[in-house]
Amino acid sequence: MRRAERPMLQLPAPLIWGFILVLLSQLLFHHFSPAQREFSYQPLAKPLRASTYRGIAMGSEKLLGYLLAIRLQLHDSQAGRYFNYNWIDYPVLVEWLEQITRVNPVSEYPMLLASRVYSQTRDKSRLRLMLEFIERNFDHAPQLHWRRLAEASVIAKHQLEDLKLALQLAEKLALQPASTVMPQWARDIRFLLLAELNELESAIAIIEALLQSNAVTDPDEKRFLEEKLSKFQQELFESRLTIEN
Amino acid sequence: MFAQTISLFRYLMLGILSRRLLVLVLVLTVLTMLVGSFFSELAMINGKAIMVALVADFLRYSLGLFALLVITTGVAEDYEFKQFERLLTMPLSRWQYIVAQVLVIASLCLLLVLPVLLVISLYSDWQVGLYWASALWLEIFLLGLLGMLAILSLEKIPLAVCFALAVYLLAKLSGLISQMLAESVRLSDGSLTSRFVDFIFGAILYLVPGLETFAENDVFFGNVDLIEKISVQFSSTVVYALFLIAVCLVDFYRKEFNL
Repeated sequence: MRRAERPMLQLPAPLIWGFILVLLSQLLFHHFSPAQREFSYQPLAKPLRASTYRGIAMGSEKLLGYLLAIRLQLHDSQAGRYFNYNWIDYPVLVEWLEQITRVNPVSEYPMLLASRVYSQTRDKSRLRLMLEFIERNFDHAPQLHWRRLAEASVIAKHQLEDLKLALQLAEKLALQPASTVMPQWARDIRFLLLAELNELESAIAIIEALLQSNAVTDPDEKRFLEEKLSKFQQELFESRLTIEN
Repeated sequence: MFAQTISLFRYLMLGILSRRLLVLVLVLTVLTMLVGSFFSELAMINGKAIMVALVADFLRYSLGLFALLVITTGVAEDYEFKQFERLLTMPLSRWQYIVAQVLVIASLCLLLVLPVLLVISLYSDWQVGLYWASALWLEIFLLGLLGMLAILSLEKIPLAVCFALAVYLLAKLSGLISQMLAESVRLSDGSLTSRFVDFIFGAILYLVPGLETFAENDVFFGNVDLIEKISVQFSSTVVYALFLIAVCLVDFYRKEFNL
């Protein structure tokens, strides 16, 4: 059975006023408290060394590598709030990605975070750090990371608007030996970028070499290359005509 | 003699089996699967493998601790209720008690890894499930033997559990500790104290199981030779288990009981 209660107005006045005062002071304190006002992005702490993480992992290095990557991925979400990537200290972020890669070298996760998650920043210097990380780590396992390098090349072209860097990344991809299995389109990025840089002659030479070497067997791919070849030849012809006139 | 040992094993086994044990294992398994699913949702790639690996590791440590507590409690009760004195008045040798306890530990580990086999096979393929269940059985069996040795020697559950866990963690973290000691030697310019501590730790490592004695979680992330892994683990577990049983026998035979 519920106990009967006295109406609020029958309570002693000092108690009611005292309660209101205490409530107001709590609200004001909460509103103006420095911790609340600046809440409060917790910066990314520096990572430990990969060898330390390997020791802590107690034999589950790969699992720990993935868990560290997930922890890093969730760093922008703190106490239910999402922070812009501009808050993140990118050099420290790169250190984290490097250490996670060393803890689990056969994981794509750190490269994926770099190319898909942390590349979503408008700050070009930070973006460049991500692309450098991808380029650096691609060399360790080209077969595992060719997708990330292809993405990096596209990011360099469209987000960073640095065609030279995009071409440098695409060339790295295109010059991989045949033992690195990847679809032809990944290698094709190079001549598409060359054409954008108005280096039509180089692009044409690459396509002709590809077609003559019989490296391309897929009919759709062959047709795509032939179309591009005739388009670039036409563009080159027109540009020469313009120069002569 | 064999029949007596088996009877003693059955008697001891009945003492630790209960419905609560089954419920606890089931609750642990379900809880682990929920935690694993949560992480699987967070992961951008390899969600399933991360989940299975996490579930496997969570079950490894929780069931290991659970087995350790059950075994040490069982032996501690034998001390408390003067069971040893009673058993030794019967035509039983001390080694038979140790053998019966070893069989109890082996059977308990088997019961504990059965749900693990089911869960891992369900989320991964059955070969990996079978590997993990077998490897986990070997690991928990070794931890159980360590617990038995600790409780026989120390006679108190908290001390025995702490000792067994300390040895287990020392073995698992030996890489990290060696690295820290090597670093300390380097930073102190090879001071005598640092080198001495490093030497002592190196000597201790000879008495704890190596990392190859434990189940390898990396099997969930790629193609590895499971047969080779389990063979290496099996052989090192056999050597270490025999060593622990020998120490148990020596320690148990040295004990004086007021008959």
